[in-house]
Amino acid sequence: MKRADRFVETEIDGETVVMELESGDFFSLSGSALSIWQMIDGTRDKPSLVAAVAAEYRVAEAELAPEIDAFVADLKAAKLVEGG
Amino acid sequence: MVAGSPITLLQRETAVRYGTVPDALGAISVGPEQYALVGDEFLMRTKDGLAFHYRKGQGVTVELGAQADPADEGLYLNGSVYAAAASINGFYPLHASAIAIGGQVVAFTGPAGAGKSTLIAELGRRGYPMVCDDTLILSTPAAGPIRALPGHKRLKLTASAFELTGAAQQERVAQTIEKHYAIPAAGTITHILPLTALFLLAEGRQAAVEPVRGGACLRALQDDHYTQGLFLAANRPDRAERFAQLARLAGAIRIYRFVRPHDARTFSANIDLLEEHLHEFEGADAAPAKTRETSL
Repeated sequence: MKRADRFVETEIDGETVVMELESGDFFSLSGSALSIWQMIDGTRDKPSLVAAVAAEYRVAEAELAPEIDAFVADLKAAKLVEGG
Repeated sequence: MVAGSPITLLQRETAVRYGTVPDALGAISVGPEQYALVGDEFLMRTKDGLAFHYRKGQGVTVELGAQADPADEGLYLNGSVYAAAASINGFYPLHASAIAIGGQVVAFTGPAGAGKSTLIAELGRRGYPMVCDDTLILSTPAAGPIRALPGHKRLKLTASAFELTGAAQQERVAQTIEKHYAIPAAGTITHILPLTALFLLAEGRQAAVEPVRGGACLRALQDDHYTQGLFLAANRPDRAERFAQLARLAGAIRIYRFVRPHDARTFSANIDLLEEHLHEFEGADAAPAKTRETSL
């Protein structure tokens, strides 16, 4: 799983604001959403991502997986993330 | 660049001469109530036969039609023509009125009728000099503070705004406009100052000042005023460049939302609340704008 090529991002007030260049839509990411976005670096598949986030936040993987699934689905729908 | 040079540049670029104005810019013909901005040129015609042509480096040519109201000439020159010339020269026009406080500029934006001019008149009565009314021209260098150029328009108020603020009334703006010019009670700034904050004016039942943060700042800066259209036409930024422009602005200033009811009975109390927040900008050179890096 990796970030798509066509986006720009900036940091404002501790939030990372990401804009998808094709649509012009932009999204504000902070807290755990920002951590997940930063962990989508092309080196992890979804199970690895869940494991990494669970380790960082010390939460059970089973508890996190549905939320991460939903968030990644949102990122894919926004064309910010591709691959599995 | 020396501090005064953008002012001098815009004075030179908007210098007026009278003559014949072309019918078209290249292949684009411009009829009554139309305008075109192509490259370094701007051409506009009003329905009453006024025409304006600006070309970078050559100033503004005005053609007066027989039906034209002389008062309209100045309104257009200070409105669309000035904003087009500023945009073509790389300045950023913001639909805002502004005051100076503590050696910095605090601006107020909102759609027509939001109360920008009334607020400036009232803040003038409370001792804050006006920087501009309706259009704030910004210099946005790649780094360092955003700089606000002194205003080029006179303060214009409705009858109800004169009643609310007690401002000194001058002549009527134009036959077709039910506003009069007003004298800002605390004077007008004539030099460049850094822009430190922008307040978004909104109507609501309860008066409040709330900070706007993060991505909401970018949304707030997406202005649909005609001056932004001129800026985008002149500079044609792609989406990434536009995002970077907004991020640059959002990254350099603090943004707030000032919500209050449009009610004459609470007007003074609402401005009292705003003024409490303005006090934080009073220490000259003390209230730094945001400092942060962008990752663009």
